[in-house]
Amino acid sequence: MKTIFEYDEETTGYLPDEDVSVNLPDEITREDLSLPNVSEINVVRHYTNLSQKNFGVDTGFYPLGSCTMKYNPKVNEDMARLEGFIGLHPHSFEQCSQGALEIMWKLEQALKEITGMDAVSLQPAAGAQGELLGTTIAKEYFKQKNEKRTKAIIPDSAHGTNPATAAICKLDTVVIPTDSRGNMDMNEFKNALSDEIAIVMLTNPNTLGLYEENILEICDMAHQNGTLMYCDGANMNALLGITKPREQGFDMIHLNLHKSFSTPHGGGGPGAGVLGVRSFLEEFLPVPRIINKNSNFVLDYDRPKSVGKVHSFYGNFGMLVRAYSYIISWGTNIRKVSEHAVLNANYLLSLLKDTYELPYDRSCAHEFVISSKNLGQKSALNIAKRLLDYGFHPPTIYFPLIVSEALMIEPTETESKETLDKFADAMKKIAKEVKEEPEVVTSAPHNTPVRRLDEITAARKPNLRWQNSK
Amino acid sequence: MNYIPTTQRDKKEMLRTIGIESINDLVKDFKPLLTTNLNLPKPLSEFEVKQHIQELASKNRVLRYFVGAGSYNHYIPSALNHLVSRGEFSTGYTPYQPEMSQGTLQSMYEFQSYICILTGMDVANASLYDGASALAEAALLCASQTGRNRIFVKDGLHPQHMQVLKTYCNTSNLEITEQIDDKTACVIAQNPDFYGNVENLSKLAELAHNAGALFVVSVIEPTSLAILKAPSDYGADVVVGEGQSFGIPMNFGGPYLGFLAVKDFLLKKIPGRICGMTTDVNGNKGFVLTFQAREQHIRRERATSNITTNQGLMALAVTIYLSLMGKNGLQTIAKLSYARSHLLQQKLDGLGFKILNDRPFYNEFFVKTPKPADSILEALLRNGIHGGYKIDDDKLLICCTEMNTTSDIDNFVTTVKNL
Repeated sequence: MKTIFEYDEETTGYLPDEDVSVNLPDEITREDLSLPNVSEINVVRHYTNLSQKNFGVDTGFYPLGSCTMKYNPKVNEDMARLEGFIGLHPHSFEQCSQGALEIMWKLEQALKEITGMDAVSLQPAAGAQGELLGTTIAKEYFKQKNEKRTKAIIPDSAHGTNPATAAICKLDTVVIPTDSRGNMDMNEFKNALSDEIAIVMLTNPNTLGLYEENILEICDMAHQNGTLMYCDGANMNALLGITKPREQGFDMIHLNLHKSFSTPHGGGGPGAGVLGVRSFLEEFLPVPRIINKNSNFVLDYDRPKSVGKVHSFYGNFGMLVRAYSYIISWGTNIRKVSEHAVLNANYLLSLLKDTYELPYDRSCAHEFVISSKNLGQKSALNIAKRLLDYGFHPPTIYFPLIVSEALMIEPTETESKETLDKFADAMKKIAKEVKEEPEVVTSAPHNTPVRRLDEITAARKPNLRWQNSK
Repeated sequence: MNYIPTTQRDKKEMLRTIGIESINDLVKDFKPLLTTNLNLPKPLSEFEVKQHIQELASKNRVLRYFVGAGSYNHYIPSALNHLVSRGEFSTGYTPYQPEMSQGTLQSMYEFQSYICILTGMDVANASLYDGASALAEAALLCASQTGRNRIFVKDGLHPQHMQVLKTYCNTSNLEITEQIDDKTACVIAQNPDFYGNVENLSKLAELAHNAGALFVVSVIEPTSLAILKAPSDYGADVVVGEGQSFGIPMNFGGPYLGFLAVKDFLLKKIPGRICGMTTDVNGNKGFVLTFQAREQHIRRERATSNITTNQGLMALAVTIYLSLMGKNGLQTIAKLSYARSHLLQQKLDGLGFKILNDRPFYNEFFVKTPKPADSILEALLRNGIHGGYKIDDDKLLICCTEMNTTSDIDNFVTTVKNL
């Protein structure tokens, strides 16, 4: 398929054709603008055809572990596109933006209730920015206490964003290994705790899909050491209405609204990585804060201890509307989401555990990690590619790093038993193919718009933009 | 509403297969267990959700905007939303499996190409969160490239972008300083600046380069690039900015789109996703994510950034917007924005609004008001107009785009005249 830059048509545009002139000096004006002109029908066909080379949750099963690819309800899209929201300028006078402020305030209240935290900032645009904000707040907290703490404890199963965030915030990472049950190793953890440790960044359930069995003890020990507990809330979809991170002992948590709260992943965003904190950290949250004064909502910038801002305005507002719409749909029944996410994961696990290796033999939370080590090297990659031929999006592969040939599977609660059965059948058939006709698997996929792509040449001879050869 | 398709019969079979009695057996170790339901409102049907949220939306008041200051009211063609809303685009995630993500990947490649054409840079990434965080990422990039820790910011940076930059700099041990010297990692300038001023910044670029620093240009009203020089023409090494003007609604401040583009020599320092063109085993053209060894999921604490989820769908919206508008359409928008703002400025000049810009402006200008800014804004608000961004008790920053018709401008002027 050609790129959009290979069209050369004549267009009239979308605005009245007026004779207006620009009178600016040559030293600041452009001579040439080499954008293509494309007729509307060809733009529509170009991007419609591209969309058909894509796969989303609307297309089929997408068990990409750690990403919570659940169904994205369509009503949320309609709500987020109401003119009263999308047409609203962020510098609107408060009297003109009461509805927007109210929805944000109400979302904060719901997320406080779900996490048990005392205050929530909706500003971070994605989970990694929530981590950055949380870690920055931890640094500021210790600075105010005149404590020099320069390190973060992070288990070896953690998402890559955790150590990457610590590095941006100039904290050194102390990595703790995982024990034989898939928990953070308690002895190693005890030994690592010192007065240099600012925070422990923990994902619970962890990236193996396992609930940290020692979570209460971990948080107690960290607090006795003066250390803050940060929860990477990427896996909150297992816990809604069942347990609250605050009661587990966490001081801060970011939530990915695009995971547990169903806002669409958009092919890689936008997300929303809101941050919840306990009351003693509230003063550090970014400005502005939304204040409810007898149902009159105001933006409060007078926060002398705030760490500042992480977003140009108030966060990814459109995603906040979608998440709010989702949460009020469920209301008090939201626990069902997590119950069924956990049920689906454990059901699929029981269908697959005789065919694949299970590195930690426990019942899982909302996702699980199996290994195809028994099927040879590079088998996880080959299985993933073969799944494409069966019409499924593959699981996350080779993560977490501590499991070899890892396949990380997160079915979510929005999939039916029939879908899970079909996926398990495909996984079993592929395991059989690996043994009986391996070339079918190693040369997969066969039915996709393109086949395996040459990533080495892509990096060695980078072609990262269209160049007009004329 | 209930988005769970599992029937009671299915549930029983599933529990039997797992070998347990009830779901509670699966979650009993999630300690401490809650003993009561969450204190949330009662569940709502889709019908009730709509009623409730429509009522909230109706509490907002959308006005005729003559305010910009980081968010610009531009026309969005109808075709755009129809394409962006397609589930194949909106419900997928990062294209980790390129064989079934060619739609997302090719549009990323087209997005990168558009940003390179507009900025004059060699390489662009696939998007960052917004203009402010893109600027902060640029500072981190420059510090990493130069091994220096000081940042110089030219006057006229958007104050909210300055706040975000400061937050990132504080946490990353970078210092914002008043002078350019041999410890300066980068010199940052916004163009057009916060007050609307446009200038050729080649002298500042030279100053930066002579000190061994990189030169970063931030463009937060990118429709200006249709008629203004590409930042590469006046020495930029890094160009960042806010892409909202290109087909993304104002949406009370988000989701927007940060872009970041660099000269070739900085390629390996770029934060975030990059898409490249390659071929498959049959020799067919295709696209993949490339240079992933910079990223957190591979490099962890040595990554160039922690960014993962970016603003994918917004980048798609920008790509489709630029494709629909094309060269002709984008130039028309820029010319109309220029013409409308200059028309309003001239009319206001006659009413005693003294212009404070000492350089040419594009579509935003800065005036001293003959009466208190608040009284002017209030009078305009009574006529459904948001008249500008208040900078001081007697100073307003006023913006026009192609959306401000000549009759809107007449209303603005008449209201102010009658005050």
